[in-house]
Amino acid sequence: MNARFGDAEEAFRDEVRRFLEAHRDLDGFFVQDSRWDAVKAFFRALGERGWLSLAWPEAVGGLGRSPIHEYILWDECAYARAARPPLGAGVVAKTLIRYGSAAQKARWLPGIRSGELHFSLGYSEPEAGSDLASVRTRAERHGDTYRVSGEKCWTSYARHSDYLWCLCRTGEPGSRGRGLSILIVDLHAPGVKVGLLPTLDGEALHEVLLDDVSVPVEQRVGPENGAWTLMAEALADERHVQFPPARLRRDLDDVVAWARRHGLERDPRVRRTLADLAVGVREAEVLGLRVLETLVKGRSGVVEAAANKVFQTLLCQKIARAALDFGAPESLVAGNPVEFLWRQSMWETIGGGTSEIMLGVVAKQELRLAGRS
Amino acid sequence: MDFELNDDQRAILEAVETLLEQRAGAARAVALASKGDYDAELEAALANAGFTDMALSEETGLLEAALVVEAVARAGGLAAIGAAALVAPHCAGRALPGPIALASAGERGPVRFGAHARTLLVAAADEARAVRVQPGDAETVASNFGYPMGRVRTDGGESLGAGSGARLRSAWRLALAAEATGTMRSALHITVEYLKQRRQFGHPIGSFQAVQHRLAECAVLVEGSRWLTYEAAWRGATAEASATAAAYALAAAHRVFSETHQLSGSIGFTREHDLHVFSMRLQALRLELDGVGGHQRALTRSRWTTA
Ligand SMILES: Cc1cc2nc3c(=O)[nH]c(=O)nc-3n(C[C@H](O)[C@H](O)[C@H](O)COP(=O)(O)OP(=O)(O)OC[C@H]3O[C@@H](n4cnc5c(N)ncnc54)[C@H](O)[C@@H]3O)c2cc1C
Repeated sequence: MNARFGDAEEAFRDEVRRFLEAHRDLDGFFVQDSRWDAVKAFFRALGERGWLSLAWPEAVGGLGRSPIHEYILWDECAYARAARPPLGAGVVAKTLIRYGSAAQKARWLPGIRSGELHFSLGYSEPEAGSDLASVRTRAERHGDTYRVSGEKCWTSYARHSDYLWCLCRTGEPGSRGRGLSILIVDLHAPGVKVGLLPTLDGEALHEVLLDDVSVPVEQRVGPENGAWTLMAEALADERHVQFPPARLRRDLDDVVAWARRHGLERDPRVRRTLADLAVGVREAEVLGLRVLETLVKGRSGVVEAAANKVFQTLLCQKIARAALDFGAPESLVAGNPVEFLWRQSMWETIGGGTSEIMLGVVAKQELRLAGRS
Repeated sequence: MDFELNDDQRAILEAVETLLEQRAGAARAVALASKGDYDAELEAALANAGFTDMALSEETGLLEAALVVEAVARAGGLAAIGAAALVAPHCAGRALPGPIALASAGERGPVRFGAHARTLLVAAADEARAVRVQPGDAETVASNFGYPMGRVRTDGGESLGAGSGARLRSAWRLALAAEATGTMRSALHITVEYLKQRRQFGHPIGSFQAVQHRLAECAVLVEGSRWLTYEAAWRGATAEASATAAAYALAAAHRVFSETHQLSGSIGFTREHDLHVFSMRLQALRLELDGVGGHQRALTRSRWTTA
């Protein structure tokens, strides 16, 4: 066992830290929607260094580095509260690299790599959240185009993005996971309407209404009705950067700073809670590294990733709530760091697959417990 | 022994619920909260109908007052009825000009309704003090927890006599337990109704056993809070009974908050769904009087400390 990165990787971490110094004021991690312009400029700066395509193969314009570099980059970005990894450079690009035609790669990858082109994830619908196999958004093929109608919701950043990575039903109704395809839908095409859904963290999600939108067949990624496998692979590609543990370390550091500022650090109850949370953060780091290892070694990491997601997201809520609980009424004042963290962390156990769904994965795949029907 | 409400109590509950249906509710709470407003109309309507005098009248008492306070919380009413109907009568023995805000002497943190209050009831060591305040005396504090807040000065005022401090704290705990109970009931009700109709994987989510157990555990906690609150009111808000009810209810509030949000999924995180009207308030209630730890310490003090 060796719980340390190599020298080259640590040197890269130093380089990332120096780079992030210049973006110290960005503070976009939690508020990417309302700070989109600044976040987009940051993505362009990453793009200039080739850091949006760190682990893409060199043949498609990537730097050909290992997933460890990606992990380090996004972990440091999380600690610096800079930004979360953009969908385009991860899910979209990696799927295109695996399944896309030469023409598709040529069309999309350069814009993604430079930080210019942005995508939103169009999976969830009003009637399809945890159960994505029940997606209803319909894509009917007419010659060289699909006509797409349906409704997506809880879509992050949709009003800022250029394209929607859209999960559509191309098979018969009732075909569940066997009848789904991924289409790249232009968010500025006729028939697309994006609405705001304000959320409790003061940010907003979006609904995307698709009314008979024309999508050229060249914008389908992967085989028709083949989205299910492709989605699972895309999720697996990103498992090491989705939940960077440094976010938790930073949360805890912020809470400790807050407790100091309010004279709470000597209270033995506060200290006991902080110690508990510090143990949790260390565990999260170890779990995060275990997920990374599965990727580096080319193993399936489905169970590890699910366990990691459950643990990390629950812990971030615990950190935020502990702060509020020992904070006294002062912590209720709008905009202070701990009350914001508390409202923000509420959704982490829901977005990106709920804790219950993740626990189901662990139960079925690791414990081999039978499912019903 | 008889835990049923009697006919008169049921009639009071029905009457206040009818009033609240017209004058409170989640939509009104959202509209008021967006402007940081206080529901003076609701307070006036409840007072005019006699609902804030329950604890002072001959025929009724703290239990009837607690039923009213819980009902107002359940309806999302944005008025300081816990202070008006329970705390002031029990502590001062009379009605005080409302809105009434509650504070602990020397504490500088923001208090609920602080910026709207005309009377501030301050808990000092042995005595309580009633401080007359004018709108504008207190600094308005923006908050995301459903109640208008303000930062108040806790000095001065008229003493309500020896022993009034302890009465104030006990009644405050009782009011917190009643408000938490009503608020939890609504948060849970909204969630249960939603999960009965929300279908995933071909079934209502509420039909999954793992989900049912969690909702049922919340229901047990809410019922426990309710009956401990009623019992404390029936016992005349003794220090021990009030602290017990508050310690239980405010601990339950944390659990009910987490479970209702988690099980509602994304819609519960959006402002279009009513859950937040109730859930966010729970956290504000959890912090008063030093939170669950404070109620627990009050309980051990009242039960095992002599002198
Ligand atoms: C901030 C945020 C950003 C998001 N961004 C995006 C985005 O960009 N693109 C996108 O497509 N989606 C996005 N989502 C949506 C998210 O992926 C879904 O909300 C999530 O998959 C859960 O779906 P749901 O909200 O419909 O919950 P539901 O599926 O309705 O579930 C409700 C509750 O029931 C539980 N449950 C469901 N089924 C079972 C079961 N069988 N057994 C036990 N419990 C069960 C769930 O775990 C949950 O607790 C976002 C969500 C949030 C909060």
